[in-house]
Amino acid sequence: MIYDVLIPTVPFIAGYLGTYTLYKGGIIKRNLHVNLWNFIIGAAFLISGIGGFILLILMAVGIKSPLNPQLLYWHVEAGLTLTLVTVFHFRDYWKSTKKLFFPKSRRVKT
Amino acid sequence: MKKRLIGALVSVPALLAAILSGDSSAASCPYGLVNCTGQCSRFIDISGDGICDLSQSTATSGTSDSSTSSTDQTRQDGTDVSNVGDNGTDNASATNDPGHGSDNGYHLGDGGEYYILPVSILLISGYLFTHYLFKKGILNRKKHRKIWNLLLAAGYLGTSGTGVLLILMINLGIRTALNPSLTFWHVELSILMVIGTLIHIHIYRKPFKNMFKVLFGFKSPVNKKKDKMVLRTSK
Repeated sequence: MIYDVLIPTVPFIAGYLGTYTLYKGGIIKRNLHVNLWNFIIGAAFLISGIGGFILLILMAVGIKSPLNPQLLYWHVEAGLTLTLVTVFHFRDYWKSTKKLFFPKSRRVKT
Repeated sequence: MKKRLIGALVSVPALLAAILSGDSSAASCPYGLVNCTGQCSRFIDISGDGICDLSQSTATSGTSDSSTSSTDQTRQDGTDVSNVGDNGTDNASATNDPGHGSDNGYHLGDGGEYYILPVSILLISGYLFTHYLFKKGILNRKKHRKIWNLLLAAGYLGTSGTGVLLILMINLGIRTALNPSLTFWHVELSILMVIGTLIHIHIYRKPFKNMFKVLFGFKSPVNKKKDKMVLRTSK
């Protein structure tokens, strides 16, 4: 089994660039662009994070169902999307991210 | 509403029974996979036939067809499995060093080696504690948010980092002694990530609700009441 890496990443990169261009061009509001990607990160988290958690609980309890392999596959694929969209999330909230990781004294004014 | 809820609750055991009555042939694979050629980081191939030993522990005990079909398969790295099986040295290199896989207390199919409950309870109680401090005014809003955002970021970075490494290892067919510990940290950090995300949603519940309003035009009952009040006053 080889997992697809391009399918869960490339369309999302293109999608983000698309909505970002629309927002920068003034066609859509920033609110819509940010909320759309917040929704996508939520959906990816629901499949990957919650799916992985269910998988973990099933393993801990010792339940083996035909659903497990499918769940594992989609957990991995959605995990790739989640990783990528998390980077976009950091980018969307860059001011807060900067404050979070770099203390005030270390920040360089631009 | 109550009847619906009871109906849904009654159907849960039936649904679980239907799911569990499915495939139970692969007794030792934690995911229930049969003749797996490497879908997770727990891949072990002592027999050197390119198929995970855990997924064929009961499948190979059947007819001779299963053994011939398994030798026909090629490994995911493209090498012919039948050639590997003939050569003793190749066979040894194809395995995932079983000594590391089983001797370190890492029992496959046993999910008990992960600290799901302790970590979850620790995180939830930690959040309740900081929330209490925040409500009492001991901890300010900024610090409260910063603590949980940092923990969440650590969870995301750790989980995604180990996850991407595991995918690369699986896709490239790399089997090392590091895989079990990578999986362990992937799982532990993902608990932090999942619980942290739920806490993140709770902290930012207002923007979260607003997201549905912006995208789908949903309005919470409180907002609907507010809108009605505004309309009445404007009239």
